[in-house]
Amino acid sequence: MDIEDWRRMIDEIDAQLVELLNRRSRCAIEIGKLKRAQNLPIYSPEREREVLERVRRLNRGPLDDEALHRLFERIIDESRRLERLAAEHAEGFPERTREERS
Amino acid sequence: MIIVMEENATEEQIARVIEKLVQLGFDVHRSTGVTRTVLGAVGHKVVDARELELLEGVAEVIRVTTPYKLVSRSFRPEGLEIRIGDVVIGGREIILMAGPCAVESREQVLEIADAVHRAGAKILRGGAFKPRTSPYSFQGLGEEGLRYLREAADRYGLLVVSEVMEIAHIPLMSEYVDILQVGARNMQHFNMLKELGRQPKPVLLKRGPAATIEETLLAAEYIVSGGNPNVILCERGIRTFETSLRYTLDISAIPVFKKLTYLPVIADPSHGTGRRDKVPPMARAAVAAGADGLLIEVHHRPEEALCDGPQALLPEQLFELVGQLRHIAAAVGRTM
Repeated sequence: MDIEDWRRMIDEIDAQLVELLNRRSRCAIEIGKLKRAQNLPIYSPEREREVLERVRRLNRGPLDDEALHRLFERIIDESRRLERLAAEHAEGFPERTREERS
Repeated sequence: MIIVMEENATEEQIARVIEKLVQLGFDVHRSTGVTRTVLGAVGHKVVDARELELLEGVAEVIRVTTPYKLVSRSFRPEGLEIRIGDVVIGGREIILMAGPCAVESREQVLEIADAVHRAGAKILRGGAFKPRTSPYSFQGLGEEGLRYLREAADRYGLLVVSEVMEIAHIPLMSEYVDILQVGARNMQHFNMLKELGRQPKPVLLKRGPAATIEETLLAAEYIVSGGNPNVILCERGIRTFETSLRYTLDISAIPVFKKLTYLPVIADPSHGTGRRDKVPPMARAAVAAGADGLLIEVHHRPEEALCDGPQALLPEQLFELVGQLRHIAAAVGRTM
């Protein structure tokens, strides 16, 4: 395979990643709404730690644990943000975030 | 805002900081490094940084945005030109404002107005209400002084700038002057700044002798946020540990102001040094540093002046200085 072949492969994987990240985000949005309904704090450090430990356990490389940890920290940051937005705008979400982006 | 945690910060300490940031309405970007964790706080909330600095495990809080908004350079990157009649402050031309420290008599102000006009000044300065260090010093002629100032300025086609000492004087001053000056001692007279924010006339705001650049910009923010966009900043010397002159004229404040704000910046080397012989070199330095104008005290008989005679230039000294300043102005792409 040449560089172009590998790049095509990366493009395919990226498409899947986008789909997966959005599926994950939809879960976070639902959690945000429930947290609001149940009056729970958006930030739950124990759960964040649990997610990070779990992905480390699942890791089979070649990404090292630290690299995976850093990547998931960013994913968690964005989920926390979505949960906050979902909790703040319980109705009309996620439509409203699309408007924010445009 | 960026929060840098201490090297040995525990996970619990980090969690408490994130919790606090989330409560304050920030989104957090956590970055766990090899030795320390850095938290990026994203959002437009106004927060007292000390609230975070005091949390356990926090090494440093770095503010990325400024506490002033409307006077920030990013708000008007091209800079602000203040037009009064055919005088433009903040344009290519460096504007000379000169005159006596205090208006003493009709004859005195007419004679000095003639001299500063011949030197190329566009604006006549002169105090009618004087903030003096001692209550026994000459306090100014009041409205009579304003009348003399206006008459002299009109005779020579000059604008007038004079200091407002209290809110109650603003309507009276506005009848006579074109620019309302806030003296260094009143820079943080916030109620007066708010009132000046409602005025149609431009304001010349002097930096307080113990005010930081940020505090000065926040004072300007009071005026601009009140609805008056036309503020001219003036560096006039700050208190430092150096005692050889009255103040230390902070020439470096000029390029710093110019970077942080779009407001025109002028310098007052007369108050900044307190000595006539030091005025020309500091005036030259201010123009070289990018000042949009100069505020210089002039007196035809300084030994008889009722206020700050030792810092007033003689008319012929002003003529000579302006000749030099024109060369410096040309060298930095300006006119005078």
